[in-house]
Amino acid sequence: MILDELKAAVMDGDAEQVAVLCRKVLDEHLSPVEAVEQGLIKGIEEIGRLWTEGEMFLPDVMMGADALKVGLEILGAELSKAKAAAGDTDRRGRIVIGTVKGDIHDIGKNIVSAMMTAAGFDVFDIGYDQGVDVFVDKAEQVGAQIIAASALLTTTMDEQKELVEYLKSKGLRSKYKVIIGGGPTTQGWADGVGADGWAETANEAVALCHKLLD
Amino acid sequence: MSKVSLKVLTDEDVRRIHEASMKLLEEVGIEVEYEPAVRILQEAGLKADGRRVFFDPAYVQKKVAEAPHDFTLYARDPRHNVHIGGDDVAFVPGYGAPFMIEAGGTRRLATWDDYLNLLKMAHACEEMDLSGGMLVEPNDLDDHTRYLDVLYAHIRYSTKVPMGSSYGASGARDTVELLAPVFGGKEMLQEKPVVISLINTISPLKLDARQTGALMEYARWKQAVVIAALVMAGSTGPATLAGVLAVQNAEVLAGITLAQTVNPGTPVVYGSASSITDMRTGCVSIANAESALLNAATAQLARFYGVPCRAGGGLTDSKAVDGQAGYESCLMLMSPIASGVNFILHTAGILQYWLCMSYEKFVMDAEIAGMLRRYKRSIDVNDNSLALDVIKHVGPGGHFLTQMHTKQNHKTEMRKPMLSDRQSFEGWAKDRLTTEARATVLWKKLLDSYQDPGLDERLQKQLQTYVESRKKEIVK
Repeated sequence: MILDELKAAVMDGDAEQVAVLCRKVLDEHLSPVEAVEQGLIKGIEEIGRLWTEGEMFLPDVMMGADALKVGLEILGAELSKAKAAAGDTDRRGRIVIGTVKGDIHDIGKNIVSAMMTAAGFDVFDIGYDQGVDVFVDKAEQVGAQIIAASALLTTTMDEQKELVEYLKSKGLRSKYKVIIGGGPTTQGWADGVGADGWAETANEAVALCHKLLD
Repeated sequence: MSKVSLKVLTDEDVRRIHEASMKLLEEVGIEVEYEPAVRILQEAGLKADGRRVFFDPAYVQKKVAEAPHDFTLYARDPRHNVHIGGDDVAFVPGYGAPFMIEAGGTRRLATWDDYLNLLKMAHACEEMDLSGGMLVEPNDLDDHTRYLDVLYAHIRYSTKVPMGSSYGASGARDTVELLAPVFGGKEMLQEKPVVISLINTISPLKLDARQTGALMEYARWKQAVVIAALVMAGSTGPATLAGVLAVQNAEVLAGITLAQTVNPGTPVVYGSASSITDMRTGCVSIANAESALLNAATAQLARFYGVPCRAGGGLTDSKAVDGQAGYESCLMLMSPIASGVNFILHTAGILQYWLCMSYEKFVMDAEIAGMLRRYKRSIDVNDNSLALDVIKHVGPGGHFLTQMHTKQNHKTEMRKPMLSDRQSFEGWAKDRLTTEARATVLWKKLLDSYQDPGLDERLQKQLQTYVESRKKEIVK
């Protein structure tokens, strides 16, 4: 029944309850793999489904994603051990996301980050006002496949171009897919700066990541 | 007090919002990301912890009371002087959109040509009281120096009052330096505000370095500023509108307090662009019943503090000049007009929540503004307008079309539309022109009607030299 409770806690966006339940999983030596796959993930999947149907809203998705993260952090070590023992590696796509230097607008980025988490990606959010080196260092550190950069201002959009140039200068361009977004950006801008993709909405960003990692 | 006066809050509601804002200012404080601002507020006796400034309510109220109730913005051509405050309303074109949407729905980046077209339309359009500011972002000009080109163009091509740059203290300084020679030197500016600039807070509860720098510089020169909050219910503010107003009010009052601390008597406008979040996508929605209520509430709050008010606009979330654009823009202009807002930025041209401008939308909104200016004038009731003599004279069953009273009064009493179609069905059916198609004809006609007001050649050279030398410094 703990699996149903985990699912429900994620759906309620109740991070505290998720933490209590995950500790119980560890204390009682229950299967961390099952707790994640049959509990936490089921909850976030159900949120995703209801969101698509217009039954759930952003606070549901974002709080659900936060609750999921709390659970994954608690179970993380045991989960890796169990998976390694079973010869199973984590094949989820890894994404580094952030808002570029000089730009403090991060609501859109937070939404995209939550939607990516809800879609099952492993998301590393580096926050806002971050230099291109911070994006790339994080991507190197966590072994990401995608780097996502957000800019809301016409005066900070150039940083997205800078990111692509920086990767080139480090000889890392082919290692990562670079995707960009934000109010004033367009597909034309993305093509111009040499990004691998652009999306206007959070939903489209998730679809883009699936496509790029296919 | 205007006869048209919509209230959406009781006096008790206004008092409670005021008290909530005072609590926020005193207990939570405002994050001020500009060291000189923190310093001057500390010197004035406010407590600060790092960049967090805690505003003492008594000090806030004392400073806000020093702001003028109303003021006049002086234009290069005195016929375009604008009174800001009281029962008056100033219509100002759309501001800051990076995109243009063309008739038919194609979206593209705005250019310098678009900029100049819109500037000339704003100058030629009778309904626009100011020439505006960053009418669209001219993407083909260097983004670090385009504000200089924009300011020069306003001075060169229009004699209406422009809006200044909020690109930090240096943008404000350049604005003052460019306008000073036009008005006989900087000393003159201290007496007469000749520019008004948009200073935005960062919600919730922050003032950033760039905007705050510009605010302080303008205050030094006693030039007018609109201090505006854009709280989005559900994301950058609470989901409840009263809470949105409490946050907005705290931010705007902090800005006004800072301006009056720098230079008491600086003309300020209490501004709000507060709106809601679409809770499915996180997108801002700027035209809806809730935002219309926030506009009207903002007017009441500004009146409570005795300062002029900015809110509303020809706002829409629509991406085309269609039914949605029409009904949303009308609601978002009607509410501020009915509630007594004094300064309506974004009156004309906006599509897709401030991201786009459209020539067709510009003239459609100007039509709405014209209707609402008439609406605001209300109904004169006097011997002449009651028209008893002529009613008696015509008597039962007659008509008024051939009466001198009709001939003498209809033009001032009834506004003639410039865009609306009032033909018979057959008349309309000959060409079957939609609003958008008629608007295309109209904006081209408006642009054609633009007459260059000219600018003294020596002054032109002087300003151009300044612009070029500043560009070199900035690009370096």
